[in-house]
Amino acid sequence: MARAITITSGKGGVGKTTTTANLGTALAMRGARVAVIDADIGLRNLDVVMGLENRIVYDIVDVVEGRCRLRQALIKDKRLPELCLLPAAQTRDKDAVSPDQMIDLLAQLRSDFDFVLIDSPAGIEGGFRNAIAGADEVVIVTTPEVSAVRDADRIVGLVEAAEKGTPRLIVNRIKPRLVSRGEMLSVEDVLELLAIDLLGIVPDDETIVTSTNRGEAAVYDQTSLAGRAFLNIGRRLNGETVPFLDLTDQPGVLDRFLGMFGRRRS
Amino acid sequence: MSFFREFFGGRRERSAETAKKRLMMVLVDDRYKLTPELIEQMKVELAEVLSRYLPHVDADQIEVSLLHEDDNDRLHAQIPLKRGQQGDV
Ligand SMILES: Nc1ncnc2c1ncn2[C@@H]1O[C@H](COP(=O)(O)OP(=O)(O)OP(=O)(O)O)[C@@H](O)[C@H]1O
Ligand SMILES: [Mg+2]
Repeated sequence: MARAITITSGKGGVGKTTTTANLGTALAMRGARVAVIDADIGLRNLDVVMGLENRIVYDIVDVVEGRCRLRQALIKDKRLPELCLLPAAQTRDKDAVSPDQMIDLLAQLRSDFDFVLIDSPAGIEGGFRNAIAGADEVVIVTTPEVSAVRDADRIVGLVEAAEKGTPRLIVNRIKPRLVSRGEMLSVEDVLELLAIDLLGIVPDDETIVTSTNRGEAAVYDQTSLAGRAFLNIGRRLNGETVPFLDLTDQPGVLDRFLGMFGRRRS
Repeated sequence: MSFFREFFGGRRERSAETAKKRLMMVLVDDRYKLTPELIEQMKVELAEVLSRYLPHVDADQIEVSLLHEDDNDRLHAQIPLKRGQQGDV
């Protein structure tokens, strides 16, 4: 029986889709059967982040409107046969799927998978409500910025009101250098403000850009610190205890050299 | 003021500290949605209840504020008490 986990945020653009793609891949790499659902209807994105855009025939709206069976709409990942994507419709509006239809859909998926990850749209309206409707657990992604944290707090309240338990938090795009200079909220700050449990910390990392360009998850890239962070989060979702990455800023030789002249690389 | 302090070598607060303080205020506001009218009403009712136990609790003297401290939100109320004359309860 699959656990259905919704990845949501409040503020847009904080990394939900990136997180869903990487966690789905991370879990499948460890042998789990995983379905990822793009619930951002009208703004289909998860397919391109996973590099599967050319394989789409049917989408989630085709399934709920009976034009195809669920199995026909599920797209197999290029590398991992146990990873499947249910794409969003690109041309329909957000309420083309109802919360009840979403719950039905998850009921069908549960028996064939170990994890179902749902990529939620930003905001607190219909699309978000659909995305959490059938969830067993909710994960909130935020960046360490005032507006993102504020919106995350709003979502914590809504998730609790919807009786989905207390969501867990991923702090994305941490810049250790800025944090150590006191110019970016630290993970501890964010946790103290939101008062929920931490699931993971993901650094701001250029390899996210390059891997997204290629349509390959960053977890495949051995050199990617963000990829490692996502692998760790996948293991935590699996119930393992994994220490958080140490992202404290350790200035390199060049920095210390520049430091002698009172300059710092940013 | 702060301009001069900065200009004459005083240090400006780190922006993360500022962000955290701002968020502390914003989040308690967002979470409890206490309008000024509701706060006034709460003071009147607080005074009403407390007057059953204590002499001379005056709604106008009560100050309440919402704070976020160490992972917890709290309602902080300052309620000045006047000493009652004996027998005057
Ligand atoms: N850790 C990271 N380091 C660098 N760039 C990142 C990181 N996480 C996300 N990004 C970039 O931020 C942008 C937004 O990410 P993403 O699309 O995953 O956000 P989202 O929350 O799904 O957005 P939306 O609300 O529009 O659905 C993308 O360009 C992505 O590559
Ligand atoms: Mg997205």
